[in-house]
Amino acid sequence: MELLFNILVFPGLLFVLLWALFVFWFSRKVLAYIHKRVGPHYNGMGGSLQTVYDFAKLLGKESITPHNVNPYLFGLIPLLAPTLAMLTLVLLPWSPNLVVVNTQYGVLALVVLIGIEPFLLFLTGFGSNNKYSFLGGIRILTQMISMETSFFMAALAPALLFGTMNLVTIVESANWLTTLILLPGALLFFIAALGILAQPPFNIPDAEQEIVYGFYTEYTGTNYLLLKLAEFTEFLIVFAATVTLFFAGYRGDVFDGFAVLFFKMLVLAVVMITVRASTPRIRLDQMLRFAWTYLVPLSFLNLAWVLIAKVYLLGGS
Amino acid sequence: MLKILDFFNYAQSESPWIVHFCSGCCSLEMAAATGPRYDWERYGYMQTPTPRQADVMIITGLVSKKILPALLRTFAQMPEPSYVLAIGACAYDGGPYNESVSVIKNMTEILPADAFVAGCPPKPEAIITGLDIIKEKMRKGEPSAASQGGLWKQMNF
Amino acid sequence: MQQLQNLIAGFNVSSCEPYKQCWIKAKLTTQDDLISLATALKANGLTSLITVSPTDFPDDNRLELNYFFEDLLTRRNAWIKVDIPRELDACQIPSLTPLFPSVNWHEREAFSTFGVRFIGHPALEDIFISEDFIGKFPFRKGFDWQAHEANLIENMACIVRGFEREHAINDARMGKGSHTTLNWGPTHPASGPLRLRVEVNGEDIISVKPDVGYVWRGLEHLVEGKDFVGALVAIERICFMDNTNAMICYAQAVEEIAGKPITPFASMMRVMLGEIGRVVSHLMGIGGFFNTMGLVTLQMWALDVREYFLDVLEDYSGARIATASIEPGGVRYPLKLALLVTLEAAIAKYEATRSEFYAIFINNPTMQSRATVVGIITPEMVLNNGLCGVVARASGVKTDIRLDEPYAAYDKINMTYMLAEQGSAKNRFEVLFKEVDQSMDILKQAIADLRRGIESGEYRPEKDAMVRIPKKLPDGEAVSRVEWSRGELMMHLVTRKSDETPYRLKIKAPSVNHTMMLETLLAGKTLSDIPLVFGSLYICQGDLDR
Repeated sequence: MELLFNILVFPGLLFVLLWALFVFWFSRKVLAYIHKRVGPHYNGMGGSLQTVYDFAKLLGKESITPHNVNPYLFGLIPLLAPTLAMLTLVLLPWSPNLVVVNTQYGVLALVVLIGIEPFLLFLTGFGSNNKYSFLGGIRILTQMISMETSFFMAALAPALLFGTMNLVTIVESANWLTTLILLPGALLFFIAALGILAQPPFNIPDAEQEIVYGFYTEYTGTNYLLLKLAEFTEFLIVFAATVTLFFAGYRGDVFDGFAVLFFKMLVLAVVMITVRASTPRIRLDQMLRFAWTYLVPLSFLNLAWVLIAKVYLLGGS
Repeated sequence: MLKILDFFNYAQSESPWIVHFCSGCCSLEMAAATGPRYDWERYGYMQTPTPRQADVMIITGLVSKKILPALLRTFAQMPEPSYVLAIGACAYDGGPYNESVSVIKNMTEILPADAFVAGCPPKPEAIITGLDIIKEKMRKGEPSAASQGGLWKQMNF
Repeated sequence: MQQLQNLIAGFNVSSCEPYKQCWIKAKLTTQDDLISLATALKANGLTSLITVSPTDFPDDNRLELNYFFEDLLTRRNAWIKVDIPRELDACQIPSLTPLFPSVNWHEREAFSTFGVRFIGHPALEDIFISEDFIGKFPFRKGFDWQAHEANLIENMACIVRGFEREHAINDARMGKGSHTTLNWGPTHPASGPLRLRVEVNGEDIISVKPDVGYVWRGLEHLVEGKDFVGALVAIERICFMDNTNAMICYAQAVEEIAGKPITPFASMMRVMLGEIGRVVSHLMGIGGFFNTMGLVTLQMWALDVREYFLDVLEDYSGARIATASIEPGGVRYPLKLALLVTLEAAIAKYEATRSEFYAIFINNPTMQSRATVVGIITPEMVLNNGLCGVVARASGVKTDIRLDEPYAAYDKINMTYMLAEQGSAKNRFEVLFKEVDQSMDILKQAIADLRRGIESGEYRPEKDAMVRIPKKLPDGEAVSRVEWSRGELMMHLVTRKSDETPYRLKIKAPSVNHTMMLETLLAGKTLSDIPLVFGSLYICQGDLDR
């Protein structure tokens, strides 16, 4: 019974759906505020029903499978992508007594499941029989390969510091000093995550002005909705993972619980949207150079810093 | 059952996404309608980069003969139900280019529009009002005029 | 100037005289001398041949070709005419494209619309006109537009066949390794109605070939059916981004032929309206530049400021962008002093936002890392390719018609050239910003001058707005240039005695030459640079196709 609740309601399907509706609305609203606009306004309180209508509309639209594509590949990925993204939810500790799968390999499973997602999106581009989709697919693959090295490295920092890969232990043993020590790692993790999520300034795979909409170009109706749902679930996981690994997860100064985690995630969302509103997209080769000449060496240095700090500041063990 | 279908119609009417296609000068006023002063996102309008995710196509003023096949193709790529809004005098009868031979003068006969906004170019608030007519049509679940007929169905493009 | 006149007079010319303050107007008796004259002019520094404009005279059985040579550095220009026979078989002349690359597309345009064959042109293909006009030469006087319109269905089928031919070529090239052809436009999110045929190898561009004419309306032909004031309807629609300056250009040409100078009040009003048009256009341009890199914030902020300037135009003329506010003889409406207050509010709005623009966007490191390395135009390229306006000034070439050949009341205005050094995409963006600042300064000077003039009784805002221009003009022709927001706009107007309509109007618009540059600038770059370079050249499809 509890498992069913976990799968269907929290942290499963319903929660993901609500989060997707919320974060889509929230990002549009914050972006509009930075643009000096209002954003969605007339549907519901402050336009909060806007995304409900958007999603419902996409469900009602015709789903087109273009001529000459492989219908299995084209239709399967939009189902696989959100499912795989949601799988990751079971690993994260959402509140002091809610973690569905409490494993000793939490960090490892987390980064692997996050890291595999872009590969599915590459397959959508591959299966769309559209030149722009294909270019988008190739781009996301390139970006995934270059960003994931530093992503994994950065995720290792808390595991090294606390000497465990169990996410609950990491959250429970965090304090102000460790958070400060992990701050550079958090920054690296977040930058690499932006790359993996294809968010500005790394929104190269779906660069509207260059390759139309990248791998999304041919998707309509429900399929598009499912892909978007996968994207928003990825946001959820990456924000939650950043908070869990580096910022003491659900633990707060006054009280512990899901609300604290959610608040920290919102702060990260605002940071992401602000970056999106103020930084132009970079070129593919610039991204490659940035990833391999700065990000990867820095994440190695970060590991060294964490080890030194562990020995000299925390007294080592 | 009827209620559920009504909800989907209502949902569509509240989130019309507009394909990014410009064929004439009226697209300048469309850009202004996205801007801070008019901000059509308040009503749920949004521009999408590809026709595959769009609900409404705006014929932005003049359509030259050369761009007509591309325009029809873009419309055909949009998933059903899809609607057409014609803005500007040119989309109706060629407007100021009525005497020019390289401009299509019977655009709304070729691709029938669900609503027409007059002006050269129409003001942004007029464009938003024109979209309201399309919203009304979606809410009632009426099929679009372009799906009912028009010369475009007989044309090769 | 004298030396230039002597040089031209040394050839076989039937007339050779100075025209306005910086032109020499001459007519060659035979086309044999054209190449040697052009070579001599080029050796003398007149390196830009900005356009070639044919005029059709069926009565005398001749086509008159007008060549406009310019020297951007010393402001010496030459206007060379030459007659060629009108029959299609004999209608040919040596091409000047090998000498002056700037005239490439202009010669192709003359070929497609008038049927002039340019011997020695590297690729004399049709341009601008749609497929159904190929081989019909629609701008010739005898062309029957109504008869052409009668076969509408066949004409459309013809265009669709061209469309399908292109598709077949693309499909045949698919699946051969990583080489493919991308059609960047006309339905692309960032292209507007224009298509770039991009040959790519993966992400690397092999070649770019623009396909233009998607908004070809035949404006130059359209004005021939309207009277001198009614022609404004077509003129102001060259490009809506900046519509006042285009009307100034046309109005000046008509006034010159009619021989009616306008009042000092009207010329100061033209400065004011022209600068508002420039600001409105530039604000759209700077937004579009960042838009090409996926960042729309600047566009939104710029649109916000732009609305205040559109308010001024709306207060004055009743329309936001199709103002029709300037007509031959002056400006259309008298001035109410409340307008100046609205304008001052708009300027204050810009100045309040300016520091945010600079802090976040001009000095944006990500933008600089991308935009300083692409689209680099050297001063030599500017001179040889007939580039003008913002693009030329960003490369450090001192050219600005407002200073070179002051029109309206620009001689009373205190201003300088807004220059940048390297000529990269970033420099062009920077110059756009500097010019908005400059326009604010000019607007303030114009407001002060108008206030002073009205107070002292020198200007009568109710009565001075218009001078009457007769409905019929004498035989004549005029060349008028203005500094449009995108660069030099030139109109060549020919009138015939007792005609109520223009006989021929040639519009030379800046975007043609700028679009020609895309091929050179993008070769060897990556796919990501296309929108950036395209956006930085500040091209408007409206004035590209006309």
